[in-house]
Amino acid sequence: MSASLPPARASAVDERRIKVAPGEARFSGEDGPPTAAWTYNGTIPGPALRLRQGQPVRITVENGLNEDTTVHWHGIRLPNAMDGVPGLTQPPIKPGESFVYEFTPPDAGTFWYHPHADSLVQLGRGLAGPLIVEEAEPAAFDRDLFWLLQDWRLTKDGQIAGGFGNMMDASMSGRVGNLVTINGTVPADLGVRAGERLRLRLANASLARMMALRFEGHRPVVLAIDGQPCDPHEPEDGRLVLAPAMRIDIVLDMRGDPGSRHAVIDDFYDGLAYTLTNLAYDKAFPFRSHPLDAPLALPRNPLPEPALANAVRQEVVLQGGMMGGGKLASVGGMMGMGMPGMNGGAAWAINGMSMTGDGHAGMAPQFTLERGATCHLTIRNETAWWHPMHIHGFSLSVLSRNSATVPHRQWQDTVLLAPKDVIECAFVADNPGNWMLHCHVADHQMAGLMTVFRAT
Amino acid sequence: MKLTYVLTALGLAIATPLPALAATINAVMYKNPQCSCCEAYAAYLEENGFKVDIKPVNNLSEISSDAGVPADLEGCHTIMVDGYVVDGLVPVEIVKKLLTERPAITGITLAGMPAGAPGMGGEKTETWTVYAFTKDGKAPTVYATE
Repeated sequence: MSASLPPARASAVDERRIKVAPGEARFSGEDGPPTAAWTYNGTIPGPALRLRQGQPVRITVENGLNEDTTVHWHGIRLPNAMDGVPGLTQPPIKPGESFVYEFTPPDAGTFWYHPHADSLVQLGRGLAGPLIVEEAEPAAFDRDLFWLLQDWRLTKDGQIAGGFGNMMDASMSGRVGNLVTINGTVPADLGVRAGERLRLRLANASLARMMALRFEGHRPVVLAIDGQPCDPHEPEDGRLVLAPAMRIDIVLDMRGDPGSRHAVIDDFYDGLAYTLTNLAYDKAFPFRSHPLDAPLALPRNPLPEPALANAVRQEVVLQGGMMGGGKLASVGGMMGMGMPGMNGGAAWAINGMSMTGDGHAGMAPQFTLERGATCHLTIRNETAWWHPMHIHGFSLSVLSRNSATVPHRQWQDTVLLAPKDVIECAFVADNPGNWMLHCHVADHQMAGLMTVFRAT
Repeated sequence: MKLTYVLTALGLAIATPLPALAATINAVMYKNPQCSCCEAYAAYLEENGFKVDIKPVNNLSEISSDAGVPADLEGCHTIMVDGYVVDGLVPVEIVKKLLTERPAITGITLAGMPAGAPGMGGEKTETWTVYAFTKDGKAPTVYATE
């Protein structure tokens, strides 16, 4: 069939180029001191890629680093060979070489891109960029903003600290840093006008830092999670919990008084709350006297509906880590034998097996799904730690958490599990290939919290 | 398990007069905000004459490394007490021995989170080795075993 298709006209394909290379970050603005970092096209974060739903794109990635890299288009349902996992879906891009990624994004929404090689170090040195797939019909917002949130562990002289992958980070909560940036800089106030309606696309590109954002004096409404529209709803307690690799689109109606100032607070960690930024209202007369009453819901993406009655059941059990109860006795680390993850060993496992690193050839699938079958997947966190579990190539319809039904028809590619949480979710195995399922706390992935499954 | 430790410590206090330690000993604990066994350990110290100021931090590996704890002997939290560093779930008798003897070292550490240690659940299954370390680059030495 493909032989009879005429070659695509050059104008039909959106062409992009990204060069990966060492560069600089300027956390306190253009005139501030530089921090040595790794960059896409010379900027931190990388350039915002705005793609069109259903429009083919061809992205040439050139590697100017001294080590292998790849790019993973996080959350995009694309052909397996374009997924960016070294060894598993493509050969790594060697220094000086290029790889051409070609795909047609089926879903409109908020995504991001990042390396899947030497992930802990490459993400930690800054490689991440926003990826927006625009809806066919633009939605009614006064402004559309993207906050790519990054967390940096800096030394006292403002450089990126070494010590990646030390055993304490690996077996506890990962490499949480000491500086959070929005779009590459320490955030100044966000200027807003009374009465305007913002669409804010939040993406947590941190290695390990979980966030729980509150917008004081405001009532954000969640429109989409991980790029997939859900039923619009206010989050529980007004807190937007955003684990590494997760995205949340919110709408913010600016109901504050002209001239007022409202904090945006991250209070995820007990005793470590901080003000991320402030909403600073212009003193001018309100932009409009009444909030917009345009409908909030975004159009749904063409996700295949799981057929639960005929579903194949699979279970993924997360094990290990500090206070892990000795579950890793057979795979290299356990409570009662010093620190799990010592000497580069595994600190974590899935179903008793530790796949470490970033992906490599010969990873045997944990389970195989027939093409088109519905998989009813249980993810059980037996550890004492939080894990954002990321599935490649698919979005998961999230059914329940600890037996309570998850409302709002949510689909996610990255599902956060609190300690001891049990999540039920479902997806249709319509995309053939060997796909990864791993924790997106980079330290945890590298130290064994990763598995592979196959769709035929 | 906790009760066992309290009794042991009381026994020790009665058996060996330690006038210097009669007053409350102030300690500062740096811990991962999500690690619960550290809090249990702090409570155990408080039952044994300490006042522990708990500071949750997200850069514990840096704090412990700056404090001189060897990377392969890290415990799950770092305590600053009376001029010494105490890392990990060190039994209180050994902490008090340190504060009484006052050796010329930076601190002591019990690596990892051994089962049965104060703050942990489970049964003690092995001998614990508490190491003394300094900041002068010398190899750690055994300070005590239990």
